Amino acid sequence: MDLQYAQHWLNDILNEVSTQFQKVPGSAIFLRYVKSSYQNDPVRSAVELFLVLFAIRYLLSPKYSTQKKSYVTLSDEEIDELVDDWTPEPLVAPQTQFEEAENEKRPIIVGPTGPKSKLSNGRTVTNLASYNFYNLVGNETLKEKAIQVLRTYGVGPCSPPGFYGTQDVHIKTEADIAAHLGAPACIMYAQAFSTISSVIPAFSKRGDIIVADKAVNYAIRKGIQISRSTVRWYEHNDLEDMERVLGKVVREQSKKPLTRRFIVTEGLFENVGDMLDLPKTIELKLKYKFRLILDETWSFGVLGRTGRGITEHQNVDAAEVDMIVGSLAGPLCAGGGFCAGSDEIVEHQRISAAAYTFSAALPAMLATTASEVLSMLESNPEMLTSVRDNIKTMWAQLDPRSDWIYCTSSAENPIMILALKLEVVLGRKLSMADQEQLLQEVVDETLANGVMITRVKSMPRAINATSKDVGWELQPALKVCITSGLSRKEIERAGITIRHAVTKIMTRKR
Amino acid sequence: MNDGKKGSRRRRSSSLLYQEPPESMEHMSDQSALPNLNANWVNAKGAWAIHVVCIIGLKILFDIIPGVSQETSWTFVNITYMFASYLMFHWVRGVPFEFNAGAYDNLNMWEQIDNGDQYTPAKKFLLSVPIVLFLLSTHYTHYDLTYFTINFLAVLAVVIPKLPFSHRMRVALFSGDPEDR
Repeated sequence: MDLQYAQHWLNDILNEVSTQFQKVPGSAIFLRYVKSSYQNDPVRSAVELFLVLFAIRYLLSPKYSTQKKSYVTLSDEEIDELVDDWTPEPLVAPQTQFEEAENEKRPIIVGPTGPKSKLSNGRTVTNLASYNFYNLVGNETLKEKAIQVLRTYGVGPCSPPGFYGTQDVHIKTEADIAAHLGAPACIMYAQAFSTISSVIPAFSKRGDIIVADKAVNYAIRKGIQISRSTVRWYEHNDLEDMERVLGKVVREQSKKPLTRRFIVTEGLFENVGDMLDLPKTIELKLKYKFRLILDETWSFGVLGRTGRGITEHQNVDAAEVDMIVGSLAGPLCAGGGFCAGSDEIVEHQRISAAAYTFSAALPAMLATTASEVLSMLESNPEMLTSVRDNIKTMWAQLDPRSDWIYCTSSAENPIMILALKLEVVLGRKLSMADQEQLLQEVVDETLANGVMITRVKSMPRAINATSKDVGWELQPALKVCITSGLSRKEIERAGITIRHAVTKIMTRKR
Repeated sequence: MNDGKKGSRRRRSSSLLYQEPPESMEHMSDQSALPNLNANWVNAKGAWAIHVVCIIGLKILFDIIPGVSQETSWTFVNITYMFASYLMFHWVRGVPFEFNAGAYDNLNMWEQIDNGDQYTPAKKFLLSVPIVLFLLSTHYTHYDLTYFTINFLAVLAVVIPKLPFSHRMRVALFSGDPEDR
């Protein structure tokens, strides 16, 4: 009886539910949908039901973050406590003893710089510490011309080239540089330093590959860092090692999607002074299908019969190098930098090179000065030969004659970089700091004898970076910049002074 | 410079499935340098309505082709929508514009949406659309088994990669080995 009663009760409830359900608006449509979708196929209906339930579950789930929390949540009191405890570090680290001594003795030039410069202590010294190779600093015609342009165009365009900063003189100078080099096109930047560090990231992006020399200068390093590309270093100026690295990259990448690949190196190395073997580099770049970004900051206006740079010196067509980056600031005594290459390469930079798009254009007087110097170099190649004669004279005084130092620069480089001989360093167990100290003493001693030279000063490395990251350490060295503003006799005398100063410092220490 | 930092992006085993390795510090700072315009639009006004508009548009398009039955037309709409959304949200990686220095090159759009957060409103909506479309199309194909199978496989293809479990998951067969940097 009980069972029957229960069944009856259940039926009542079901009936009640169904009548209530039918009163709900839209229930008829729902029932029709379920009926028609069932169609004697329970499996499929189950699949659909599962999908609907899953969607509902997904919709009801609370939001959460997949980012790993990299910080600790602190209460207000804890934050206040930490703020109170905090003692700020000085913005600039205190000077080391070496820096202090160096700053104290640092010579200060009064008045215009030139082959003979007046110092603040009243003495006039022979200046072999400025990039004044052709003595253009004292050139009156250039000065007159620059003043004329200044009166017409004003100090600077005060606007990026893509906005309204481009003036007719810029277009003319770009054409002049391209014609001088024999490249199809050229783009001019307002600063020499930011040229290469902006050209590299304009082309090479994350995932692209850069093969670079270990001794490349600071601007190139910054450019590589900004580009976020993958870097593979090869031993300094060792083309066999370059070939090994190129081959390795090609092998590693053979199964991956194609990326852009670049070789980045310098014509005359800023930190070492030696010269690249360009024909061999071009042969390798063609063999392994890389593009070549060549920094000619120190070779443009220096190498070659008319100062066209390493391409002229080693008889290579400038169009073979994908990008030639050079400076108008150093040897040319103007300002700014340039990148020469094919039309596509140049046009690409006009909207995607950071330093070109975002920085004010080069002052007109610097652009015309650069053009003027280029035409001087073309019409008067003796300018270059007189410097080369002076380089030879200085070499004869220093490299073969000194027992202590040797010149790491190439014989054509007016920036002579003089490092301590390896046997001296090893024989006396000199650390890097010891060498710097000795060389600084040589600089001071030379200055006392009326010749101003300087040392190779390295830019600070990235925070926490060690020489291990790069695998290369800048060698402490003296830097002697030759100029044609001095006669053969004067150069000879200066060379003797430097040699004697080195000998004096090195023998005194013994 | 990316050398000398090995280990952070190295493949763990040679399994078929692997997790995309976490980004380096430099990578993350590049990612947060600018808002991710590639993924942020899914939260913009009208971004939800466009799905409905597209589906209606597709339906009209397939209906006006002569000789296409209602069943085939619905199936085509379903497949086209699923294929297009798979391509857009799950296949293509990175950002088509240059504003993050390629910081998102290893992530598809679904993983970029809302910075990888799960169960956000946009993600809930984007998951519901294919499911509703599937239920609609099976209903209007009158539950023919062939159509049902095709539509069901299509919906699975876009639902599975949307699950939290598939976040940053890669199939080695399709995407190759992870890069070691």
